[in-house]
Amino acid sequence: MNPQALMDGLITGAMIGLGAIGVTLTYSILRFANFAHGEFLSWGAYFALAVASALGAMSSALLAPIGPFSFGWALPIAAVVAVVLTGGLALLVDALLFGRLRDRKSTVIIMVMASFGAALTLRSLLEFIATSKPAYYTQALQIALPLGGGLRATPDQLLSLAVSAVLVVAVHQLLTRTAIGRSMRAVSENPQLAGVVGIEVRHVIRVVWLLGAALACVAGISAGLLVQIRPQMGLDLLLPLFAAAILGGIGSVPGAMLAGLIVGLAEAFAVQLIGAEWRAAIAFAILVLVLLLRPQGLFGRPE
Amino acid sequence: MMASLDQPVALSTRGLVAGYERDLPIVRGVDFAVRTGELVVVLGPNGAGKSTFVKAIAGLVPIHSGAASLGANDITTVPAHQKIRHGLAFVPQTENIFATLSINDNLLLAANILPKEKRSRRVGDLYAMFPDLAARPSLRAGQLSGGQRQMLAVARALIVEPSVLILDEPSAGLSPKIVAEVFAKLKAINATGVTIILVEQNVKAALAIADRAVILVEGVVRHEGPAATLADDPVVAELYLGVRQKAPAA
Repeated sequence: MNPQALMDGLITGAMIGLGAIGVTLTYSILRFANFAHGEFLSWGAYFALAVASALGAMSSALLAPIGPFSFGWALPIAAVVAVVLTGGLALLVDALLFGRLRDRKSTVIIMVMASFGAALTLRSLLEFIATSKPAYYTQALQIALPLGGGLRATPDQLLSLAVSAVLVVAVHQLLTRTAIGRSMRAVSENPQLAGVVGIEVRHVIRVVWLLGAALACVAGISAGLLVQIRPQMGLDLLLPLFAAAILGGIGSVPGAMLAGLIVGLAEAFAVQLIGAEWRAAIAFAILVLVLLLRPQGLFGRPE
Repeated sequence: MMASLDQPVALSTRGLVAGYERDLPIVRGVDFAVRTGELVVVLGPNGAGKSTFVKAIAGLVPIHSGAASLGANDITTVPAHQKIRHGLAFVPQTENIFATLSINDNLLLAANILPKEKRSRRVGDLYAMFPDLAARPSLRAGQLSGGQRQMLAVARALIVEPSVLILDEPSAGLSPKIVAEVFAKLKAINATGVTIILVEQNVKAALAIADRAVILVEGVVRHEGPAATLADDPVVAELYLGVRQKAPAA
């Protein structure tokens, strides 16, 4: 077996992990599975593409590659703007749809169905605006660097891994060391008691949407940089995201990232061992096995 | 601390009608007042609407008509999360702590609405008041015993120095020894000037520490008076409080 599968799995897994953190946070606090989460990845990737293209058109110097990477300063600047725009999109969807359903005390199944509707709408709208033709942040070719042990990775791939690691640590610190993190954990456990102690639950929900969408945006940009940008990219990653969120244990940030890496590695090894056509089935198999054998996931607590 | 009649009213309701469904009010027109520094116990048979009454004041059950005031401020429509900022703290009967958070995080969470420079001082004050909690601040609150959980819930409520503290059946599920400890602590807190409204099923223990008692029956106030008087009134005790009087010796 080619050891490169390890590196491929880690890189894919880091993207899945980032997206899964958003899924696990929204699931634990809003208490429904948001099937529109994958669309935030796609929209985030396209927001970054639009802003980077606009910056590149204004100044070609911003397109000149930074050091060993394939992209210029236009992309990191665009990523910051895209994070804000994707957060705004998530807040807009909440204000137009989920918030209204929450106010009506809608059941979980209605929220889930609404998220399906939101996903379809967002995906169709993106396809209408951007067409289904794949797009790229950069056309530059990168040579993979030997890392030892038969492993190779491009500078872009290593950067993607590093960004994921930094974000996981940052989100974990936010949840465990800050006032807003404590508030998020409190709302996740008992929203009514959270209100009694003075936490404005609506504010916490807004922060969760912003944070989840921001991480989805970074995952989308990472996927776009390493593979390609397509309106369907969020849909393709949706099942692995849910598999990772559930395997990690709902509400656990380190769990979501670890599980994302496990799903990514399982997919990569499956490609090597049983063929690429089985790749998509692996996330589904993991999801079913976890639900049957350990529904609380790796770091979750039993109900 | 026994409150005198010239003390200002700390909390009052006028014609309060409340319940989960508008068509099915559980609290049906309650006029109620508690003076600053009083410890008032709300008693009544099961289903009388005691818990719904205090939850409505705390903002957790919809108020359909009538009004609730905290001092001079009308709090009828104030959302639950803002009532603590007005000085009203509430300790629910069950799930009154965050079990997955540490003791320290439970207290810090409640201290969030205080100015930054005051937060750690208040947490320190509460640890001094509840030394059992101070011994293991990083322990997950879900690992505490029933009595310790009640103490943490009370400490969490006190951290913002509320003017009125409402507790919904703090003795539920506790052994008599622990109930005595919890009630002694409540009496001590009341002695510092905090007005307390206590909903209780444990009639004897509650009347022993209360200044005054209010008896709710079917969502309305049926009796009220000094706690000592009600405790000694055999008719009230038997009819409304489920306390059977001893038969006279033959």
